Amino acid sequence: MKFKVPIFDVKNLNFSVKGQSILSNISFEIFAEEYIAIIGPNGGGKTTLIRMLLGLDKPTNGNIKIYGKKLEDFKDWYKIGYVPQRASLVDSSFPATVLDIVKMGRTSQRGFFSSFSEEDKQFVQDAMAKMDVLDLSDKMVGMLSGGQRQRVMIARALASKPKILILDEPNTGVDMVSQKSFYALLRQLNKDDGITIVFITHDIGVIADDIARLFTINQKATICNNPKQALSCQEMSELYGIDAHLLHVHKHEH
Amino acid sequence: MLIEMFSYDFMQRAFLAGIIIAILASLSGTFVVLRRYSMISETLAHSALVGVAVGLVAGYNPLWMAVVFAIISAWLIEYLRSAFSLYSDSVLAIMLSGSLAVAVIIVSLGGAFNNSLFSYLFGSILSVSIEDVITIAAFGSIALVMLLIFSKELYFIAYDEEVAKTSGVKVKFLNFLLVSVVAIIIALSIRIVGTLLIGALMVIPTVSALQFRVGFLKTVIISLIFALASVSAGMTLSFYFSLPSGATIVLCVLFIFIVSLIANRR
Ligand SMILES: Nc1ncnc2c1ncn2[C@@H]1O[C@H](COP(=O)(O)OP(=O)(O)OP(=O)(O)O)[C@@H](O)[C@H]1O
Ligand SMILES: [Mg+2]
Repeated sequence: MKFKVPIFDVKNLNFSVKGQSILSNISFEIFAEEYIAIIGPNGGGKTTLIRMLLGLDKPTNGNIKIYGKKLEDFKDWYKIGYVPQRASLVDSSFPATVLDIVKMGRTSQRGFFSSFSEEDKQFVQDAMAKMDVLDLSDKMVGMLSGGQRQRVMIARALASKPKILILDEPNTGVDMVSQKSFYALLRQLNKDDGITIVFITHDIGVIADDIARLFTINQKATICNNPKQALSCQEMSELYGIDAHLLHVHKHEH
Repeated sequence: MLIEMFSYDFMQRAFLAGIIIAILASLSGTFVVLRRYSMISETLAHSALVGVAVGLVAGYNPLWMAVVFAIISAWLIEYLRSAFSLYSDSVLAIMLSGSLAVAVIIVSLGGAFNNSLFSYLFGSILSVSIEDVITIAAFGSIALVMLLIFSKELYFIAYDEEVAKTSGVKVKFLNFLLVSVVAIIIALSIRIVGTLLIGALMVIPTVSALQFRVGFLKTVIISLIFALASVSAGMTLSFYFSLPSGATIVLCVLFIFIVSLIANRR
């Protein structure tokens, strides 16, 4: 059997601000080609957790390894695509066409002087084709709809040919009807291109059937390999601290 | 008429310096505006004035001193911002008025309140020496090369600093680089545009170009054309009406801004 190095190896992660604990004692591993959803109540620490994985916030203590390397020593950041929460809320006067934005995804792989190579061009084209935004190429991002913009942001992340895509509430701005196809698209990236996908969401109902693993985050993390079971009423009630029957009503709406 | 203007050596020097400055101010200005650094450029201009004051009083080249003081100030601002998250309009306002106060006191004590100082405040086409042109061209080329090499990184950072960082862009280094380059450009510009008005030349061409709502490259080009047009027109007006060149340049760029606003109103 082949020994597998996890993409992320997280041990005993803690994060506190001014003595107040935001996240405590979190440990998990993320392996190649996984499809993972992170859920939890507002303010539960989901965004904080992935910001730590990306080196944007420093854990109070604990260890993060990426591809077996300490986070501080990790250099191949192009392997990790990140789409932040509210990424689609760009300043409407920012001077960028859709193509300008997707090209940004190539920035760190282009040398200081090197111009935009044929390979760069190809990667940008591929990313745009996958997210179905090729025909928006010359449109200003400020003029797009929320859902279109979100697809552009993901195309930008895909342009560096990442091995893992981390998305913070990527469905913001995507209407109810498009949600299913949006998640189907993520799933396709996972299955067809082998890209590991980790996303934060509040749409428990929409994703329930498809995810392989579910992280529930509310100060502590519960890692669950059988999501259907995790979505039982009792666990939900504990996670959100409310009567989870309400959530199940929400689920049936879809 | 224009032939007459260019028959003067000082006008040739002023135009040469002015064109270099227009190119530098508009290119760096694009990043200054997109990063919301407008207040930083204003503050750096006043720090440069401290250098001018030291230069005038102590007898060093004021332009060189301006470059040195503006860079020190730029590093201090960026250090406060990155190490303490201490970055707000109020901190910049404090540094701005502090610098101005220090400059005024140095100049008063040194007895240098004179026309020479006036030209550093509002710009003057009469005062550009051949050494100034050489200094502007030399430092200006370095600044221009830096901007061109790192433009794609700076653009990415302006769009989203954190996403740029997570995709491997050296954000910290480039932030220092940008403020340093801006400091150099501001210090070089005060000969022609003056300390009190250089902020306007950096910011307004880009803000005008943004009204057209076009992509990055087009925005940069429009802003460059606006800066070149207003510097040329402003210096010409300065020549024929004996007005401080900084003031006429800023009036021209303001005129362009208003026209851009009206042309693109929705
Ligand atoms: N740098 C910080 N300084 C102070 N408080 C912070 C910081 N980072 C996170 N927090 C706090 O940590 C808590 C968790 O925030 P986080 O954004 O991670 O929640 P979330 O699960 O993503 O919520 P949402 O679903 O609303 O996006 C919040 O109470 C937030 O105020
Ligand atoms: Mg969040």
